[in-house]
Amino acid sequence: MSFDLFLGCVIPARLPYLETSSRKVFEKLGIKLNDVDGFSCCPDPTGIEQLDHKTWLALGARNLSLCNTNNGVVSFCSGCVETLKGVNYAINKDSHTKEEVNQVLKKVGKSYGGKVEVKHFAELLYEYLDKVKAYVEKPLDGFKVAVHYGCHYLRPSEIINWDDPFEPKTIDEIVRALGAESLDYQMKMECCGNPVEKTDKDLSLLMIDQKLNAIQKAGANCVVVVCPACYQQYEFNQRELNKRNESTYEFPIFYLSELVALAFGFKPEELGFNFHRIKPSKLFESIKFTP
Amino acid sequence: MSVINFEFRNEVLKHNASLSYCYQCSTCSGGCPVALLTNGKYNPRKIIEEAILGLKDKLVEKQEPNSWLCSTCQKCVELCPQKVELTEIFTLIKNLCFEKSKVPDGFIAQGQAVLENGVAIPYSKAILTRREKLGLPTIKTAPVDEIKKILIETNFEKHLPKESA
Repeated sequence: MSFDLFLGCVIPARLPYLETSSRKVFEKLGIKLNDVDGFSCCPDPTGIEQLDHKTWLALGARNLSLCNTNNGVVSFCSGCVETLKGVNYAINKDSHTKEEVNQVLKKVGKSYGGKVEVKHFAELLYEYLDKVKAYVEKPLDGFKVAVHYGCHYLRPSEIINWDDPFEPKTIDEIVRALGAESLDYQMKMECCGNPVEKTDKDLSLLMIDQKLNAIQKAGANCVVVVCPACYQQYEFNQRELNKRNESTYEFPIFYLSELVALAFGFKPEELGFNFHRIKPSKLFESIKFTP
Repeated sequence: MSVINFEFRNEVLKHNASLSYCYQCSTCSGGCPVALLTNGKYNPRKIIEEAILGLKDKLVEKQEPNSWLCSTCQKCVELCPQKVELTEIFTLIKNLCFEKSKVPDGFIAQGQAVLENGVAIPYSKAILTRREKLGLPTIKTAPVDEIKKILIETNFEKHLPKESA
């Protein structure tokens, strides 16, 4: 089985260690991800689309026009997935939009018919859940995980067309399949607040503070995410919040692929865990987990 | 004193006819994580109300409420009993703000980065070294000229503030 890989901007150019674990997991599962030259920004559904919808459509369609693996394209980023699925949706819903987008693409000698299937990497992991289970060498005993689904992995459900928009189960099930516990917590379905950072930093911090507070109350010892924007929001703001308030947040933030890789027996060194701001090693010691 | 702008209302309706389904029940605001924390300053129901009334000066010029505070979490869209596509309507309002250069700086910076590099975050030397250490491949991003051509064609380039160009 092979797919084209759409990396986007944030993971490869800022958080490359998240790409490492993701690539290792799919290699182990025997799923080939083809690198494609020439992709632009997806573009960001919380940024570029808010400036100009038509530009968002055109760049998204151009990216999709470069995909040529029959099974479609996979991305490690929820924002990229929302954009690519959203562009497909818009183009297939309305022939006028399709024509308009293709008129723009014609200027650069490209065209797009709207037929490339788009998948989130967690979607693909869920489809291979039995195989994932079978490859677990080091069950994640003692991991009390707060799953953060994030918004764009689920909604708008008409476009994403995947898990339930308010009562999702896919990531919880993957986490449990690795031997970890997935805890329920208040505000589980709320936004991390990352997209409002560009408009109001304090508000963005307030949103993540509320989530972290609920996660702490629930007794979790780590958080798992599937989107690099959510990852940055959790990972980069805990210390800032502890400085501003009297909080004591110190949750290691894992990308779902990192947890899977750990359970598959990969070592923290090969996964680039040293690049995490909040080092997972402390957690491993406290729960006596030896990777 | 607000001025009713029928042309603006028709523009929103033409872009997204679901605007006319709204019966102002406020389910959107009840589920909105930003409305919850801003004590009425941000209120999706009110944005829709002002769009129905054609209050372009409020939404685009004064930005009351400020559509740029929408987190795009899409909860309102899922919850709306009338299937109003709120975030799409907010996107159109923000697109109109962009045409008038009434945009928070962070968004402009992202637009500028995509225009100049084809991607929102160009690969720095440090990251390229780190990628190599992590055993990751080198991947070519989009030709900048090609992306620029598209951004000129869609008028994106024209609307980016010139002083930062």
